[in-house]
Amino acid sequence: MNDASGALRRTALYDAHLALGARMVPFGGFEMPVQYTSILAEHDAVRKRAGLFDLSHMGQFELHGRDVGEWAETLTVNRVANMKPGQARYNIFTNERGGAHDDVIFYRISDDDWLLVVNASNADAMWRVVSAARSGDVRLTNLHGERALIAIQGPRASALLQPYVEADLAALRYYACTLSRVREARDPILIARTGYTGEDGFELFLSNDEAVGAWDLLLAENRAHGLTACGLGARDVLRLEAGMPLYGHELDENITPLQAGLAWAIKFDKPAFVGRDALAAQRDAGDYTRIVGVTMEGRAPARAGYAVFASGERAGEVRSGSWGPSVAKNIATALVAPSAAAEGTPLEIEIRGARHPAVTVPLPFYRRPKN
Amino acid sequence: MAQPAGLLYSKEHEWVKLDGDVATVGITDYAQASLGDIVYVELPRLGATLEQFNSIGVVESVKAVSDIFTPVGGEVIAINDAIESDPALVNREPFGGGWFYKVKLGDVSQTGELMSPEQYDRLISET
Repeated sequence: MNDASGALRRTALYDAHLALGARMVPFGGFEMPVQYTSILAEHDAVRKRAGLFDLSHMGQFELHGRDVGEWAETLTVNRVANMKPGQARYNIFTNERGGAHDDVIFYRISDDDWLLVVNASNADAMWRVVSAARSGDVRLTNLHGERALIAIQGPRASALLQPYVEADLAALRYYACTLSRVREARDPILIARTGYTGEDGFELFLSNDEAVGAWDLLLAENRAHGLTACGLGARDVLRLEAGMPLYGHELDENITPLQAGLAWAIKFDKPAFVGRDALAAQRDAGDYTRIVGVTMEGRAPARAGYAVFASGERAGEVRSGSWGPSVAKNIATALVAPSAAAEGTPLEIEIRGARHPAVTVPLPFYRRPKN
Repeated sequence: MAQPAGLLYSKEHEWVKLDGDVATVGITDYAQASLGDIVYVELPRLGATLEQFNSIGVVESVKAVSDIFTPVGGEVIAINDAIESDPALVNREPFGGGWFYKVKLGDVSQTGELMSPEQYDRLISET
């Protein structure tokens, strides 16, 4: 987050963003590009060609030691210890009530070397969580802001990235990672087939001083092939269409992964983890409010915080909302009572005092075509 | 960046084109560029009576909702249906096809509160 003076931090690519005419906004304690030209144009580039994102504001923690897997299992809902080197896995750190401290990705680089990527807005709090819980042979290094993260996302990502990378990207499966030599970097870097857009793509973890060269080179040599610098505005629309949660919206300290529709990530058969009993009780009671997809019938977009009604009664609240270009509708997520959660439930969203028709729909709104 | 001549401007970045006692209202190129991709415009109803400088609708971009402060008061006698089905028209032609609504002015002297193109140009070059 902000340092003591409240000043915003800058990623290594700050000057590159300004040179591209980016509009910068504060996000997670950093000055980040929200858009370069147009959110819709950048969204379109990722869906049809490829987009390049600076995600260096995200928290990166290195975890080392024999006990990392077992240790992390006790703090999170998903399995960690059975990950193999070269695997990445989505996970959620929970509190005692089953609410989410953060949603994260673990990358197992080798038997004893891991990378944990956390949300920028939670990086300080998450560092406190993991530091306070440290035990056994687990060593932690906080690299937040000290190492860059560049994502290339879109149907052309693999073809455009391959010429720079020694590893065979075709052999790197979804949610796999590998250390590979790349042009412009002294040492091998971690490359993962992960992302937050609903498209195929890769995330590249590289040193701050090598990030600028890599960013500039990728853009300069691939602009003609459709590679477009994309800001956080497009990223938010892309992830919402893809039904991916954003911490603070679909997940927070009071919204459990069960409520967020992430039951697939909760392994109740693990011996113990923080919040397990609360989650099991919530699952057994079954009457919890839950995140659903919503589409609006009209042109007025639903926005976070708007009230949701079903059968004339207050049924919940919008948590994220935007125009969804891929479905040509206004789309939203809402946290609603179970009675309003069934697909096809007619809803009304209150916008500036007037109620607008909407309907409960399954998530995601958008699924990329299989090739 | 010169502002179109023959129009009057508000500090909330709307423009007004006078034709007798009828005023056409829209937002400036500066406003549309600041907002980004416009996805929705909520206009006042036909026949509504507007009071100058009140918030009378909203313009929404992908990320944000912004109020429209009407630069003139009077009765709404036309609204631009074209921007309902194609809100991006406001981005493409802010001073033309992307106009918002027309008002029959009760009192033409109220336009004295508005800025000339030169004054508005100074305002936005200072921000």
